[in-house]
Amino acid sequence: MSSALLLQSLILGILLGGLYALLASGLTLYFGVMRVVMIAHSAFLILAGYLAWFFTVQTGLDPMISLLITVPLFFGIGVLMQRLLITRLKPASLTMMSVLLTFAIALVIEGMLGFTFTGVQRRIRLDYGASSIEVLGAQVAVVKLVAFGLAALALGSLWFVLKKTSFGQALRATIQHKEAAELVGIDTAKVASYGFGLGLATAAVGGTALALDATIYPSLHWHWIGPLMAIIVVGGLGSIPGAAVAAMLLGVTQSLLQVPLGTTWAQTVFYVALFVTLMVRPQGFFGGRLAQRF
Amino acid sequence: MTATGTVTGGALTVRGLSKAFGGVRAVDDASVEFKPGRINAIIGPNGSGKTTFFNCVTGMIRADRGTVTLDGRDVSRATPDRIARLGLGRSFQVCRVFPRMTVMENMLVGVRSTAADLWRRADDEESLERARGWLRRVGIDHLEHSEARNISYGQQKLLELAGVLMAEPRIVMLDEPAGGVNPALIGRISALVRELNAEGRTFIVVEHNMDLVMSLSDHVVVFDRGRPIAEGAPAEVQTDPRVLEAYLGV
Amino acid sequence: MRNASETTRAAAPAAERTAGNRAARPPLLRDPRRLVGVGLLVALAVVVLVFPMTTSVGYLLSTGVVILNYALMATGWNFMGGFTGYISLGHAAYFGLGAYAVAILIDRTGMSPFLALALAPLVVVVIAIPVGVAALRVRGASFVIVTIAFVLILLLVAQSWASLTGGSTGLMVPRAFQGLMRTEHHQVFYYIYVAALVLALLVWWRIDRSRFGMGLKAVREDEDKARALGVPTFRAKLIAFAWSAFFTGLAGALYALWFGDLDPVFQFSILMGAYMVLMALLGGVRELFGPLLGAIVVGLAIEFFKAEFGDTQFHLVATGLLLALVVLFMPEGVIPAVKGLFARFGPQASSIREVSAQQLLDGTQDAPDDDAPVAPGGVGRVR
Repeated sequence: MSSALLLQSLILGILLGGLYALLASGLTLYFGVMRVVMIAHSAFLILAGYLAWFFTVQTGLDPMISLLITVPLFFGIGVLMQRLLITRLKPASLTMMSVLLTFAIALVIEGMLGFTFTGVQRRIRLDYGASSIEVLGAQVAVVKLVAFGLAALALGSLWFVLKKTSFGQALRATIQHKEAAELVGIDTAKVASYGFGLGLATAAVGGTALALDATIYPSLHWHWIGPLMAIIVVGGLGSIPGAAVAAMLLGVTQSLLQVPLGTTWAQTVFYVALFVTLMVRPQGFFGGRLAQRF
Repeated sequence: MTATGTVTGGALTVRGLSKAFGGVRAVDDASVEFKPGRINAIIGPNGSGKTTFFNCVTGMIRADRGTVTLDGRDVSRATPDRIARLGLGRSFQVCRVFPRMTVMENMLVGVRSTAADLWRRADDEESLERARGWLRRVGIDHLEHSEARNISYGQQKLLELAGVLMAEPRIVMLDEPAGGVNPALIGRISALVRELNAEGRTFIVVEHNMDLVMSLSDHVVVFDRGRPIAEGAPAEVQTDPRVLEAYLGV
Repeated sequence: MRNASETTRAAAPAAERTAGNRAARPPLLRDPRRLVGVGLLVALAVVVLVFPMTTSVGYLLSTGVVILNYALMATGWNFMGGFTGYISLGHAAYFGLGAYAVAILIDRTGMSPFLALALAPLVVVVIAIPVGVAALRVRGASFVIVTIAFVLILLLVAQSWASLTGGSTGLMVPRAFQGLMRTEHHQVFYYIYVAALVLALLVWWRIDRSRFGMGLKAVREDEDKARALGVPTFRAKLIAFAWSAFFTGLAGALYALWFGDLDPVFQFSILMGAYMVLMALLGGVRELFGPLLGAIVVGLAIEFFKAEFGDTQFHLVATGLLLALVVLFMPEGVIPAVKGLFARFGPQASSIREVSAQQLLDGTQDAPDDDAPVAPGGVGRVR
């Protein structure tokens, strides 16, 4: 592999890793606040992609403007989903049943997308779609940089909310120890539903970023859910830094392996990492005992 | 009836056991010897590492260092189910039964089984009789067909004890047997422990109720900051200045 | 106060009541609930066995085969999901592996299709065991993730390893029975499927009442507690997992020989795994016939949707909605719900009341929170 190609793959891997990191953080939020594994996360991702595409087709405006609609919309859906559906499940079997419930939601979204927009592959046409700039001697498409910027911005905002606001503090307290958080007067039910909304908002941003530079179709979410699930297990369920680091590492590895192995086999890196994690350190590389018990 | 009869063995030796969670040393280089046939009590202030010690000994948590020997056999790295099959039974701090199973089914889970027996009916006459014997001894045989989630907390505690005994342990570890139950039931449990001990079973009891500890046990081990700081007969321990210091922080 | 008196008082009547409990079961004809059960079972068996003789319409027969295939898969799934409570969403992996194993064995070695049919489920078990060793180290959510991941991996492999699997175009499977008419072909496979299903049901039933099964059910209720009582949980789960893979793989192997054409996207489809979960859950995972009942209901619905609306995305929505409804409102399944109704309104109601009256007289009937000053999970847990 030539060094230019290596550099190119490395940069592409980092750009891809940023998107993975954002989406995996969303998944971690759901798990943290509710012990819910949200299979429908990537279906919402694709839904947001479709909404961005539809928005651009209808208005002719830049797809990123659709975020003004989709982010609040997804936040609201997340809050409602937590309040109306997830809280109905019995606590004893919550984790298992939530997997099935969110799986069902994913199927409904995929089916509705196919119903509404047909199975035809869609792609947003942008003025800057074909342009690329040179980064450290490697050619990188502008859209990929924009998408990465979007993901990085969202991840940064998420970090800010979690670390610097009182809501973020309450959220982290709820993730760490729900009962203790209640004892110090945190309304954990409210925090959990906002956490859920926040998680779904990451899917809105991620979906728009994805639609900027990828072809989308209704069943695409299955290609995302596998890698994302692998990332959060490798990182350790419930740990946002763990998820982000695992996302970056695996994104870069996938990108580097694409050159010698091709795209399909490169994707197996996620599953190899998943099985290695289970054999070596089932609780994930950054997680506590939590991960093994749920 | 197999519900009675004498039991031999039941020596448990712990050497240099350590377990840290993050930076907190929950159990720190603890060495204790539990002699067979005694009722041992472990006491200590909250957070002194009693329950972690318990969990390490029974294999529920893998200790960082140290050895655990059960009747001369090293079980330091054995799985909890293997340790249970080797004769160490335990109860849980917040009592745990199988909620959706009947009382009888709860009992049948503990039936020892060789590979050849795995396909035998779970409710063969022999197991049923043995289970009824234990249920009768703890006094809940009339509830045989009730689902465990529908009986009272006190009855669940008795069921948990009976279930542990069904697995024929030589050593029984009880985590706060008097926790959350009324005085009459405490009396009943302590009488049972004495009877079962007289048949040869070793007991190791973690308990906060000092009256119970002092009246029940032959040997008391006092934990503080993750290790035993004193041990001896109840009367000796009670007056030991180190114990008073640990409890009162003098 | 209560408990001390309770124990002395309860001893005498309890001894009479419990003596030879199982031997004292009333004869079949005098036990209305068992009579209903046996009657339903006989009726079901007659319908299932007679159905293929009553029609020569190819479409109906093939629908029958498809539903039996679902029933075998769902019952296979229930060896893991039902006994241990470990829900696998990726059981399509074993279905696909069984199908590909048959096709590749025949294709590569030229062995007889029947020998391949016998070997394929064993091949599946051999592959499933290392997967189980990894997957069963974690519980709950992580386990589900691993099962989904495994089916996605197999889909990738089946599509990419073209020299072995035929890649995206798939594989053709040679016919097992030469010179059969189309309807005869369906009929033969219909009965083979029935035999396989009966075998699966028999093994499940046998495990259900065995010591091994008791250990598995304890895992479902509280795995740590089961371990503390000496149940070798890891080995038990692995054996259940292997049985589960065996019967799901058998369904796949039969499917390959019946359908004759393998498409990786169909064989390793997450949707297929979801069907198995939905069917078992809908019928009731704690029940022997739960997955079978669920397969009949859901299978008929799927086939109806496909026939009525074609292969649109509509069946995805319908499956999703049904699954969500079952999870939200009937996680225990249909059979326990119906049994519950029977217990409340059926002929047994009076005798249940008698028992509680008896208990009232004894004074043995306790409210669940009778002597629990500290509720489980109260202050004691924080530490």
